[in-house]
Amino acid sequence: MLILIAKRIGFMVMTMVAVSILLFLVLEISPGSVATKVLGQYASDEQKNIWLEQHGYFEPLWYRYGVWAGNFMTGELGVSHRFKVPVGDIMWPRLWNTAVLGFWTFALIIPASLILGVLAGMREGSKLDRAISITSVLTTSIPEFASAVFLSAIFVFGLKWLPGTSGMINGFDPTQLILPVMVLFLYDFGYVARMTRASMAEVMTTPYIRTAILKGLPYRQVIVKHALRNALIAPFTVIMLQLNWLLSGVIVVEFFFAYKGFGALLLEASLNQDIFVIEACAMVAVFVAVATQTIADIGYTYLNPRIRFS
Amino acid sequence: MRNSKKNLSKHDAMHPSIPELREQLKKGAVDRREFLRTTTLLGVSAGAAYAMAGIVGPATDAMAATPKKGGVIRMAMAVQDMSDPHTYDWVEKSNIARQMVEYLTITGPDNVTRPLLAESWAPSDDLKTWTFKIRKGVKFGNGDELTADDVVYNVKRWLDPATGSSILGLLNSMVDTKDGKDKDGKPIKIKTMTPGAIEKVDTYTVRFHLNSPDLALPEKLYHYPAMIVHRSFDEKGGNISKTPELGTGPFTLAEYKVGEKAILKRRKSPYWDEEPYLSEIHYIDTGPDSSAALAAVASRQVDALYVLDLNTLEVAKGIPGIVVHEATTAQTGVIRMQTDAKPFDDIRVRKAILLASDNAQNLKTAHRGLGSVGENHHVCDCQPDYAALPKVARDVVGAKKLLAEAGHANGLEITCNVGNTQGTWEQDSVVVLKQNLAEAGITLNVNVMPAAQYWEVWDKAPFSLTSWTHRPFWVPCCWAWLIAQACLGMRHITIAMRSTTC
Repeated sequence: MLILIAKRIGFMVMTMVAVSILLFLVLEISPGSVATKVLGQYASDEQKNIWLEQHGYFEPLWYRYGVWAGNFMTGELGVSHRFKVPVGDIMWPRLWNTAVLGFWTFALIIPASLILGVLAGMREGSKLDRAISITSVLTTSIPEFASAVFLSAIFVFGLKWLPGTSGMINGFDPTQLILPVMVLFLYDFGYVARMTRASMAEVMTTPYIRTAILKGLPYRQVIVKHALRNALIAPFTVIMLQLNWLLSGVIVVEFFFAYKGFGALLLEASLNQDIFVIEACAMVAVFVAVATQTIADIGYTYLNPRIRFS
Repeated sequence: MRNSKKNLSKHDAMHPSIPELREQLKKGAVDRREFLRTTTLLGVSAGAAYAMAGIVGPATDAMAATPKKGGVIRMAMAVQDMSDPHTYDWVEKSNIARQMVEYLTITGPDNVTRPLLAESWAPSDDLKTWTFKIRKGVKFGNGDELTADDVVYNVKRWLDPATGSSILGLLNSMVDTKDGKDKDGKPIKIKTMTPGAIEKVDTYTVRFHLNSPDLALPEKLYHYPAMIVHRSFDEKGGNISKTPELGTGPFTLAEYKVGEKAILKRRKSPYWDEEPYLSEIHYIDTGPDSSAALAAVASRQVDALYVLDLNTLEVAKGIPGIVVHEATTAQTGVIRMQTDAKPFDDIRVRKAILLASDNAQNLKTAHRGLGSVGENHHVCDCQPDYAALPKVARDVVGAKKLLAEAGHANGLEITCNVGNTQGTWEQDSVVVLKQNLAEAGITLNVNVMPAAQYWEVWDKAPFSLTSWTHRPFWVPCCWAWLIAQACLGMRHITIAMRSTTC
């Protein structure tokens, strides 16, 4: 088990190094354009040269990468040219905001999709299964940008029940979270519910469940004691991977509702070519991706006794 | 958001061309708009100019119903970094800063330029020497009085290449261009202020010495980055968002977060002019999505929008309580050809593109018919220097003929850059042009790029669409489409205008 964890973490570090090299090459290969992005379009060639020299851009590429990676690991993420403050000052609060959004989204998705998935998978082909399956396929197939428009047409422009944007300008306001959470929930709960249903349905057809039923155990006990534990292994991995989806999926939702989160930051940084912010955000996103993958792998191994004891 | 100024400037002597202008007005040789603009630029007060023209000036505060004091206005608008007013490249930045920092002059909705921090001005007969009297008793937020030293400091700062201000290009008549070399020895042009171009005459008087006559100087002093900050601006860190007291305006910055909000509150120390009615102005950034701003209006999170784009116009009209007013401005989309870049260096190619394009269809399709049809030059009929020219009829056959003469009988492939800086109608407009040109055998590739990237290439790309901002004078046009005849042989004008746009 320890070897496995060490391996997974080693793999995670290697992935991050590879991505960081790619990112660095793509964004910083041409120092001239870096200076233009930082100093603005009216900067003179003279100013750009001075800036480039001050910031070590005339050093060889490998050396620059080394300095950049070193700074990155010590938390020196550079200064955003759009915000004119250190990247960390902008990124961490934005990441926190997205975490708040993500927390409430998952707080709803996890129980809802697990319950619905288990109910549907318990009796494959039943009316309940069909109803749940159709609902989840329908909601999952509507992309976020469409459901955001529908929901805001209903609740903001039509009924006037909810605020139209979620900028939290005057401090935290739970009503402003409702629409973004609703959009993310609608898109994602169906997917997790379908995965849970598939896993549950598969477990229900295994011989040990048949044995348990034939042995005369109450149905409820069969589900709770025998089926559920095994059926929930696959959804665990799926849910972990949804964290990944959330970091990119929130871009659309945050953009639409003007929520000041990580996704909106990444999008605006890209539109404005705020390279140090793009670099930092991309590395954080990669970290979240590989970390959740690693946790999912380790967790799966731990939860599945066949792997755990082999 | 600010009260209009009621200032009548007094002059020792009237510019010698004023009597002639009055004569021309009587004969009908100049119209009233042109008369008003020219006489006020020559130093006549707006009130006197309106009186000379025999018309009543625009309503002043006294004439309007007295509004109630106090209250907050919340507006959805991008909140960008706005540390150095002199380097602003987006009007949005200046919209926030102009509540704290002011200009020497101010151009009103009637296109007439009036004094603001200046009390009056007087040009010499040859329009090369301009004397500006500075208003007495104007206090910065830090308590210091505005003097000629502040104005001289600002003008020098605008024209210092190290500042990186677009004003350096605008005030061409105060600038020397020298050949210089960069670090690698490559030749570059360095623009610097002509020594002695700004002179302090006394505590409340400054004089501009221009290398060439420039009637528009007072207008140019209202160019949005041309703000007057306190003379200690650089010493105090050169960041107006951290030192709002270094401006003379009626508001101060209470809270400011790029990408989120800017909260302005009425300043505590007395303001030199009438106190503003509002006690607070909130700018709220709802991001680059125009529908978010509209949703904020619909749910009463904001009271006003800075930009209402075409995509959301119909939705906006459907929101109860919203009345959409139309105003004629010279705002326009300009598709420009660079006349010294291939294939546009051949006038036949440029004419062919012009003949093949259907400007009326472009307006109708890409801009829902809102506006007037572009006439292939920069002047709008709402501007004083407009004159109707013979219309150019669409002629695809003629276009093909010209192309064949230019050696493109088998077709021509060109690329147009567009950054959608003012909305997606820009892209739609280029797509309509693409279809128009296809009929004449020209393949147009549409290169859509993010707005910020577009501003990096807009003056370098040989063919691109740029949104041209309204100015009092000839630069731009009504909501209209130009297919760059204006730029035929005029590349340098386009480049010179760099400073007055975006």
